[in-house]
Amino acid sequence: MPCLHRLLFWSALVVASALPLPALAAGAVVTTEQVRAELVAHAPEGVAPGRPLWLGLAIDHAPGWHTYWRNPGDSGLPTTLRWSLPAAFAAGDIEWPLPRRLPVGPLMNFGYEGALLLPVRVTVPEGFDAPLLAVRLRADWLVCKDVCIPEGGDFALEVPAQASTSAHAARFAAAWAQQPQPVQAQASARVEGGTLVVTAAALPAALQGRELHFFPEQAGVIDNAAAAVQRWDGAAWELRVPLSPYRSEGPAAIDAVLVDAQAGSGVRLGFAVSGDWPAPGSVTAAAPAPAAVTATTPLAGQAAPGFVLALLLAVIGGALLNLMPCVFPVLALKVMGFAGHAHARRQLVVGALAYTAGVVLSFLALAALLLALRAGGEQIGWGFQLQSPLFVAALALLFTLIGLNLAGVYQFNLVLPGNLAALRARHPVADSALTGVLVVAVASPCTAPFMGAALGVAATLPAAQALAIFAALGLGMALPYLLATLWPGLARALPRPGPWMLRFKSLMAFPMFATVVWLLWVLGHQIGIDGATGVLGALLALAFVAWALGTPDMGRAARAGFGAASLAVFGLTLAWAAPSLRTLDTPVQAVAADARWQPWSAQAVAAAHAQGRTVFVDFTAAWCVTCQVNKRTVLADPVVLADFDLRGVVLMRADWTRRDAAIADELARLGRNGVPVYALYLPGQALPLLLPELLSVQIVREALAQVSVATRPPG
Amino acid sequence: MITRRPLLAAALAAGAVTAAIGLTSPAAATAAIGQPAPAFTATDVYGRSVSLAGFRGRTVVLEWVNPRCPFVRKHYDSMNMQRTQMDATASGVVWLAIASTAPSSSQHLAPAALAAWIQQQGAVPTATLVDADGRIGRAFGARVTPHLFVVDARGRLAYAGAIDSIASPHASDVDRATNFVRQALTELAAGRAVSVPLTRPYGCAIHYADG
Repeated sequence: MPCLHRLLFWSALVVASALPLPALAAGAVVTTEQVRAELVAHAPEGVAPGRPLWLGLAIDHAPGWHTYWRNPGDSGLPTTLRWSLPAAFAAGDIEWPLPRRLPVGPLMNFGYEGALLLPVRVTVPEGFDAPLLAVRLRADWLVCKDVCIPEGGDFALEVPAQASTSAHAARFAAAWAQQPQPVQAQASARVEGGTLVVTAAALPAALQGRELHFFPEQAGVIDNAAAAVQRWDGAAWELRVPLSPYRSEGPAAIDAVLVDAQAGSGVRLGFAVSGDWPAPGSVTAAAPAPAAVTATTPLAGQAAPGFVLALLLAVIGGALLNLMPCVFPVLALKVMGFAGHAHARRQLVVGALAYTAGVVLSFLALAALLLALRAGGEQIGWGFQLQSPLFVAALALLFTLIGLNLAGVYQFNLVLPGNLAALRARHPVADSALTGVLVVAVASPCTAPFMGAALGVAATLPAAQALAIFAALGLGMALPYLLATLWPGLARALPRPGPWMLRFKSLMAFPMFATVVWLLWVLGHQIGIDGATGVLGALLALAFVAWALGTPDMGRAARAGFGAASLAVFGLTLAWAAPSLRTLDTPVQAVAADARWQPWSAQAVAAAHAQGRTVFVDFTAAWCVTCQVNKRTVLADPVVLADFDLRGVVLMRADWTRRDAAIADELARLGRNGVPVYALYLPGQALPLLLPELLSVQIVREALAQVSVATRPPG
Repeated sequence: MITRRPLLAAALAAGAVTAAIGLTSPAAATAAIGQPAPAFTATDVYGRSVSLAGFRGRTVVLEWVNPRCPFVRKHYDSMNMQRTQMDATASGVVWLAIASTAPSSSQHLAPAALAAWIQQQGAVPTATLVDADGRIGRAFGARVTPHLFVVDARGRLAYAGAIDSIASPHASDVDRATNFVRQALTELAAGRAVSVPLTRPYGCAIHYADG
């Protein structure tokens, strides 16, 4: 603002001409339109060691203008003094007089109006015997009314050493009278949620029962403008004051000034703060105007009952996960063990509890790992395990071994070292718990696609609540088995153990092998046909090893011979497959495009959308079962494809089979955390329409019906 | 290996889980770090309607501005604000300058005057919004000019506070200060969490309209 500059310039000119001090460019007074500031001294006994010496900056504010206290409140800056004194003179800090509350609409400042003196105590060094003390001061202050003006000045003053300087005695006396009195009030404070609760046991009698204003010396802790609630109980005082919603500090101790505004007196006390400060910025107390805030905040939910209902739904969801194709065989295994133990109820219940613990802990561990990685800025979502080819290969290996065991190719007790097998038998509880862990690991390929959206939302919850949801999910998953053990009638209803168990076991091998087929297909997408074939070879060799070492009815010599041969074959296979297996940790571009679908990029979407085209994006991954089902059925449906063509829809596919930060970012933008996501960008609409995760021909066609056929661009 | 039944079950499970988690979203009483930023629609100095929701997917900076405030001028006279704006918008960030000063205040500038000032400063905000009734400022808890907020691509508040680390009205301090907004934008662009999400803003109190 040029006029302001001019004003300052003229002020400076006026100051310079009005004060004829030939020796010094600066004088003791600086006058602007807003303030008259003067450097003053108080040395009633002259300037000598051991005698009192006070310096100060006296500020007289023009009506309506104010400067600030050490903690200026919601805006403003404290006045600063920089002294230049002869060597060994020590100037103390400003001894701030009691501040006032200065409201500015919904905001609150702390400062001074009218006449103010900021006194500073100065220590005179031993051996000082000059006739004059030359004092220089650089002072800066911010003075505000409607407008704020940063002002400052260079001041100079000479104080005679051998004479009394007490022209401003009354002014200094007034400033001292306005000092807060230090008290030992046995004060303490604690943080309770979004509130700071301050208590003091023994405040001076003069203050008791009075309304006290609370001024913390640390800025940015409390909500300055909020109404504090105080209570007197004899000499005991309690104050509850909301914390600042944008609190950037969480001090362990606070110094504060309490002011009785009516009497013009006050005390200063320090106290420790106990209790945990909420994470910075997490206090959801009212900002300047709570009414306006709630009106414009999009999210409004009821906390307590909603959360209980959520936990309940998570339990139900977890129970339904048992029907997933990769979970069911494992569950079946457990139920068989169940039939075997139908007689020993106590053992059964203990086992079931251990199994439940294993499932719940595994869910918690996976969720915690995911939350931790995301907090660390990793671009991953649920199902992230499957983005690692090594993990997929390991899963294929595990499933093959389980399948072979179910099919009866080998027996565990023959393969495992004797003491390990005995350990399993001797520790059925640990065995049950490990089965629980296995169930979760094994289930993750099937659950992953469905957890994506849920986890995207869970990321908005505090970590503790999100983890509680996942624990409930695990509990739900373990629940059917747990209930069956606790309900003896159910156990008795199961068929008696018999040859059917063997047949059932063999039957369960087939879903296991089917899962292996699918995992290898995923692997093929990730690392190509050579890598997948290498893993397939390794699996075959491993099957040979398992048979050689674990098949029943084989003589000692034969087992030794076959065992040695199988291990050699396994070694050779690994050596042969090694070059292709090395691709396990070197990513290959996943193939997603075909003639109709082009690879996705945010730029391509924006470009096509800008031309008025309709864009459909399929966010998919090879390891996502739902994605594949949708892709093979609905998105390959001739009617749907014809609809796409008719409307000139640009089809794009974003393949998240491997980790890809750009796709993760885009998913986050769409509020999702996993695939599948189907986004339809309609012409003229900034935000895409998101279709359900489980597509149907009808759903896609209905969505497309919003695009008129006439908008099809030529060509 | 995929049959209709398990898929249906899985869909039900997924639905239950999603519903479960959706229900527990905490009620946000005001703008808070990590929480969804308050939604708003406002008119800019040229009369265009601008909505925060329209920028979902992009990082948005909100800058409370008042050309009559010396702290605002500190950052414009030194070109600090314009440079920060240029670098931000060049990398795809949306920059909204917002004036919440009440028309009754002596500090108020008419939209046309504000537009002229922005242009004269060589400033490049995506839009300059007029918040005469102070609704947006109050919803965000904006206290001073300049007070800056960064909303991440997911619509959550990622930074609130000062433009930089030295609370002074002197342009000469700009070079020595840490620019918190620049730092937050760099961290968000790298996919990292904002290391300093909250600072104490300094400047001139915003003169809000009554109510």
